[in-house]
Amino acid sequence: MIAGVRLPADAPKGRAPAFALAFALAFALAFALAFALACAPAAAAAPSAAAKPGETVAPCEACHGAHGEGMAAAHVPRIAGQSAEYLKKQLDDYAEGTRDNPVMRNFAKALSDQQRSTLAARYAAMRATPPPQAAALDAVQRARGHQLAYQGDEQRRVAACNSCHGPDGVGVLHAAPYLAGQSADYLTSALKSFQQDTRRNDAGESMRSVAKQLDDADIAAISGYFSSTQ
Amino acid sequence: MQRLKEVDVVVLGLGMVGSMVAKELAAAGYKVVGLERGEARFTVPEFQSPAIHDELRFAVRKALMQDNTREPVTFRNHASEVALPIRRWESFLPGTGLGGSMVHWNGQTYRFQANDFQLATRTRERYGKRFLDPDLTIQDWGVTYEDLEPHFDRFEYLLGTSGKASNIKGQRQPGGDPHESPRSRDYPTPPQKELHQGALFRKAASSLGYNPFPQPSSNLSQPYTNPEGMKLNACVFCGFCERFACEHFAKSTPQTVILPVLLANPNFELRTGCQVQRINLDSARKHATGVTYIDAVGREFEQPASLVITSMFALNNVRMLLLSGIGTPYDPVSGRGVVGRNYTYQTVSSAAAYFDQDVIVNPFMASGASGTVINDFAGDNFDHGGLGFIGGAYIGAVNSGGRPILYHPVPPNTPAWGKRWKQAVIKHYNHTIIIGVHGSSIAHRGNHLDLDPTYRDAWGQPLLRMTFDFPQNDLKMSAYLTAKAAEIGKAMGAKEVAGSPREGPYTTQQYQSTHNTGGTVMGDNPRTSVVNRYSQSWDVSNVFVIGASNYPQNASWNPTGTLGALTYWTIDALKNKYLKNPGPLVSA
Repeated sequence: MIAGVRLPADAPKGRAPAFALAFALAFALAFALAFALACAPAAAAAPSAAAKPGETVAPCEACHGAHGEGMAAAHVPRIAGQSAEYLKKQLDDYAEGTRDNPVMRNFAKALSDQQRSTLAARYAAMRATPPPQAAALDAVQRARGHQLAYQGDEQRRVAACNSCHGPDGVGVLHAAPYLAGQSADYLTSALKSFQQDTRRNDAGESMRSVAKQLDDADIAAISGYFSSTQ
Repeated sequence: MQRLKEVDVVVLGLGMVGSMVAKELAAAGYKVVGLERGEARFTVPEFQSPAIHDELRFAVRKALMQDNTREPVTFRNHASEVALPIRRWESFLPGTGLGGSMVHWNGQTYRFQANDFQLATRTRERYGKRFLDPDLTIQDWGVTYEDLEPHFDRFEYLLGTSGKASNIKGQRQPGGDPHESPRSRDYPTPPQKELHQGALFRKAASSLGYNPFPQPSSNLSQPYTNPEGMKLNACVFCGFCERFACEHFAKSTPQTVILPVLLANPNFELRTGCQVQRINLDSARKHATGVTYIDAVGREFEQPASLVITSMFALNNVRMLLLSGIGTPYDPVSGRGVVGRNYTYQTVSSAAAYFDQDVIVNPFMASGASGTVINDFAGDNFDHGGLGFIGGAYIGAVNSGGRPILYHPVPPNTPAWGKRWKQAVIKHYNHTIIIGVHGSSIAHRGNHLDLDPTYRDAWGQPLLRMTFDFPQNDLKMSAYLTAKAAEIGKAMGAKEVAGSPREGPYTTQQYQSTHNTGGTVMGDNPRTSVVNRYSQSWDVSNVFVIGASNYPQNASWNPTGTLGALTYWTIDALKNKYLKNPGPLVSA
């Protein structure tokens, strides 16, 4: 079973009506939709500028957007310009179950290794879109977010986010994803999933160690902070 | 000079040893003052990247090291020469500041073997009385491996050391180092991941009949909470351990394993920026009354104390005793005296294995202790009969990070600069494996430390003078074992292997090792040792000296693991013997 489709060479540009439908369904029926998409990918595989005619695509765009911009309100990350190694590893880990997400698990399992690599490379090559709307932070939260990003916290034994994620969270190729411009809701849910051990695909438990030392206020501050940087 | 209120204990130097002693004694209810010459510094914010990965600042300009514009060491190879100050640290790198040299260590956490603590006796037994050159002044430690074993164990669990046991209470375990002395239990965390170069080394060493094992590392393989309640994270293999501090709470240092507990204890007071001038003695010079120090703005203080712990870097322990007039300085001509005697080092060499382009090494991905090594030629694990030397080395693929400024291996006969050099760096950077030979250092009558007659520090005190060259014994050892390393390199499939055995004379202008040992040697005879088996001064019983300066000679391994054990052993004697009934713990 392959969650991809051969696009007709003359596929029209722009969003198909099915796209809007998929959005609505994604919220209400994540499980069922995933199954439906996997079984009948044509229903959601909206052609777009990102897909070249004749290429195999998965229905990533339904949630991650035609330009990889993500869907901030639904905790769906922006993936345009994220490193190919990182994206490929996430697809592998969804399939393995070390990153637990019912929607992504089904998609990832249905993809061949080659398809995962191709998709990862395609999104990596996209120019990062303008970030989605940043979370509103008050001055205290902003200062706390900046402190965690640049300095870390000695008492909580948390290293600066930028130590691994690069200057102001721009990401480090092959090693750590970008955080800058990422959806605050997605960052919050990612940190929570590390905190709660539903995401276990971090080498050496490095993110789980950090997330478990953070409280809700810290998570809100750091997520909001990076959502407002580029 | 201002005289301060007397305290129970004053600790000189807040590195790992000082932090451990201060923590234990403060917890036992004693009022403890810690004097640190450097600055206070912590993982956050001082050690965070990208600043901490500044190779120019930390590796080339040595920002974490003792300030040798104010306090250098003078050096000469032989007593016939005039010693000159070392103005740029290269050969060895003494740290300074809160946390001491363990802030910039690599995390290689070995135990010396049982044999090492009775080296003189065991060498005589196995090879006869006349095997050794009489100028080699090796001796037993006065303490045995069995004495230290519980303390090795406690130290490893403090650090969370990642490794694999081979011998638990005499029961052979699969994996690990088959030569290890018995341990009471396994390491607290499993070994770090094996590097690709480690795998190549392991296969080749096994094919030659040797016994490779993962190096014990205090850059942790997984998150760990130590018995002090301190949480450590797993190492991310960033390749910036030695000469740098760790930003990830993943390297075991005083900051990550014990200092927060110490600093939270109201019985302890830390004073930084304090340069101790001397330990003060009473008129009979048999009892210490405290110390005199100068603070960062130049004010002089006397800090009276009932007990003085000297826990500085090994070289500075020696200097503090000499500056204070505690113990008889060693005289290499007569062979009499003890302070500064048996200064030893580490006899380090390597074989560089150059591979074809299809062997991808990725040397930048490493921790300071993620190597794969063999102990088959370490210590007395092989027959020295007919070889004409004692001692040995562990041999292994121990790469601690291929950083851009200082790591660019090129084959012999490559030009040292210019286009051809650049081409060679590009060609070989990712296809070269350095096989390290980490050799022992045998004490020699001529090698010693004393006070320099000419040069003084920024406070007007005489500098420490080092007189050192490699004994022939150690050069023979290095030649023999570097050839073994080269054989392994060939077996790994390298197309070219260049062995570089250590050759004399010793130079301070090339990095070799910061394992400066000896000078306040421990033992059971006051004529050949500075401190007794409990690290207590023979001459002034309320002064305890703890450091690798207590090693009568240096063994094949990195000294830190053994120093941690020696520290807990001494703490045990302080708490359970000395402080209950102050006075000499061993009658001279």
